[in-house]
Amino acid sequence: MAVAGQECRDLWLSGRGPLLLFAFSLLLSAFTYLAATNQAINFLEQREAVNLTLQIAVAVGVLVTLLVSADGISGERERGTLEGLLLTPVSRRVLVLGKLAAALTVWFATFVVSVPYIWVLGRGVSVVGQALLLSLVIGTVLAVGLAALGLLVSGLSASNKVSIAVSFFILLALFAPTQLPGGLPKGWFGDVLGRLNPVGAGLHYPTAILVNGHDWTQDLNYLIAPGVLVVLAIVPLTLLSDRIVQLEPGSVR
Amino acid sequence: MRSRSWLASLAAVLALAPSAVWASPAAAGPGGDPLVITVEPARQSAVIGDRVTIRAQVTNRAATPTDPLIAHLNVASLTGTYVDLEDWTAGPTQQVAPIGAGASANLSWDIQAVNTGSFDVYVVLLPNGAGSAGAGPLVTGAPSHLTVAGRRTLNAGGSLPIVIAMPLLLGALALAVRLRRRRS
Amino acid sequence: MAQPNLRTRQLTKRFGTRIGVDALTFDAERGEVVGLLGPNGAGKTTTIRLLSTVLAATSGDFSVAGVPSSRPAEVRRRVGALPESAGYPRYQTGLEYLTYFARLFGHNRADAIRLASRLLAEFGLAERAARPISTYSRGMRQRLGIARALVNDPDVVFLDEPTLGLDPAGQLQILRVVRDIAARRRATVVLSTHMLAEVEAVCSKVLILDRGRVIKWSTVAEVTAAVGAPRSAVIRVPLDQIGTAVEAVGALPGRTVSAADERPDALRVTTTGSSDGMNAVLAELLRASVPILAFEVEGTRLTDAYLSLTGDAGAAADADIAKGAP
Repeated sequence: MAVAGQECRDLWLSGRGPLLLFAFSLLLSAFTYLAATNQAINFLEQREAVNLTLQIAVAVGVLVTLLVSADGISGERERGTLEGLLLTPVSRRVLVLGKLAAALTVWFATFVVSVPYIWVLGRGVSVVGQALLLSLVIGTVLAVGLAALGLLVSGLSASNKVSIAVSFFILLALFAPTQLPGGLPKGWFGDVLGRLNPVGAGLHYPTAILVNGHDWTQDLNYLIAPGVLVVLAIVPLTLLSDRIVQLEPGSVR
Repeated sequence: MRSRSWLASLAAVLALAPSAVWASPAAAGPGGDPLVITVEPARQSAVIGDRVTIRAQVTNRAATPTDPLIAHLNVASLTGTYVDLEDWTAGPTQQVAPIGAGASANLSWDIQAVNTGSFDVYVVLLPNGAGSAGAGPLVTGAPSHLTVAGRRTLNAGGSLPIVIAMPLLLGALALAVRLRRRRS
Repeated sequence: MAQPNLRTRQLTKRFGTRIGVDALTFDAERGEVVGLLGPNGAGKTTTIRLLSTVLAATSGDFSVAGVPSSRPAEVRRRVGALPESAGYPRYQTGLEYLTYFARLFGHNRADAIRLASRLLAEFGLAERAARPISTYSRGMRQRLGIARALVNDPDVVFLDEPTLGLDPAGQLQILRVVRDIAARRRATVVLSTHMLAEVEAVCSKVLILDRGRVIKWSTVAEVTAAVGAPRSAVIRVPLDQIGTAVEAVGALPGRTVSAADERPDALRVTTTGSSDGMNAVLAELLRASVPILAFEVEGTRLTDAYLSLTGDAGAAADADIAKGAP
């Protein structure tokens, strides 16, 4: 708790966190205003606008969460503050979990900021409750998985620059297929790829419900990949924290 | 476009269909088709975005059970609006088990009115037995007439408070944090 | 007999094929200040990291206040350390920083704040408590770092180059703190430094490492006596009296007089034996009515001893700089 609390204070009271939220709100305000002033927008397009707002919130929230966690260990190393933490009786596992919790506050904050926008866009098409719940669930799963991944990368990277660059690349690789015009290639390969990509699969699920009107259970198998990401990232992070949190990256204590 | 061509095809098929349909060679009882579809409600109104339930009862008036059937819901615009059925419902098609002689099967669909205008919502039965699948003819019944009114669901004025207030609030917060740090 | 406060036995650390520390064995008692000396790369920082459990040993063991190294979390409760290249979070205040570490050591929030405030006052940082650490001078940060090392009231304190980058006043202040930690808190202090004058000033024992191995472990006096280093001093007199001074001192047996490095008004007197030799020199100059403008013992016995043991020219230069020699 003490670790998570201090990490949160460092993140939010230093000014970085509030500035990010401000920039994010500008983005959403611009998008919402454009949608609202579009006289031609019909019912379906409005549902798509809600879905797009949800996707923007998840994308931005998860991106910044990942970048914050990518700085978690390698950044402490470079700033010379890691050794002080290693001199305390706090276990390395508790250290990484505290940093993970603090990174997740970024996601939850972006979700909270997105709530009024989703409400104003979605109230006319009766999807507010659905959209908020989907955003919270999918975003949280993706944020947890990617934050844990970011901390793993941070612990193993030779420098903070490398850590942030690798994390950013991972995020781009996961998000890029979701932005292909026309979507993924049709056929079994595209289908498999879509389901394997945790970000793509996770964002497919709310689209299916909000835009395509699918039932909640119809596309549940798309949530497997995000769940697997969480497990594959959290388990090594907690089990191997002693090896990951080192003064020298990649060294054995 | 799609709904018009579908409607035209259906009309052509019905015109050619014999009155007796895929019961056994034993003739239907007196009084018409062996399968009768009754759709409820006969008429209803909604506002765009509303969800409505369409109920259908399929009665087998023949002396023998039916083959397995497929019941397909369709939405036809009477005002020329393009209708994409997938937007209205994700599950327009339902499997119907063989209906015993004199028995009925009850079906229902939940649909969302995503277009404005005047529509006929109707059910078509298709044979799906070992010998009858693809052989036709199709059976349909009276539609449920649905009138969907429009509603301005999003306007600039309604969204303006959020669009302005959120950045102002968060900007003020960011500034306050920065000033607090500078003062200390 | 009570167990030593800090005990190491054959403590070894290897980094692949490179030896960091080899078979380190020594004991230290409460209230002792141990000087940890050695050339760059000798293993001083590695030693401190091993004993503070930041690094795990390849073999060997140690104990702190009776707690064995097999219980590292418990050992960390008993030690405090100021790393050489300690960094500090920019946006935290001194109070927040110490409170955080107090909480990491198990204090509740209220107790942590009280403890932090007390430590800040003790180290002369009370007025800066609410300021971000980024506004602190280097000396303040070093004091803050030492305060953090004491947050858990440790039995053993490791200070790695605590006076590095400080002005002379700051260095003296840190040395006073070191003495105080040992005397008042009865902790064992391990002071890693290149400043041999500091070691002579505050340390009771000295541990000299070279390439990971212990080459000397004993008291300062024993180290210097074992080498038998000569003593020398530079004495500055008025320029017109230099001849008289040379004549007076040259007449004393067991002394050699030479010019002091391009300074026409100073002479270097070298004598063997105890410091009484220098007393006799001063007495002779006074008898000859030669005004003494400056008197400085040149280098230290420890410097000479250290150099002869390790051949570390860098430390010699540091020693010269510390005393302001040209």
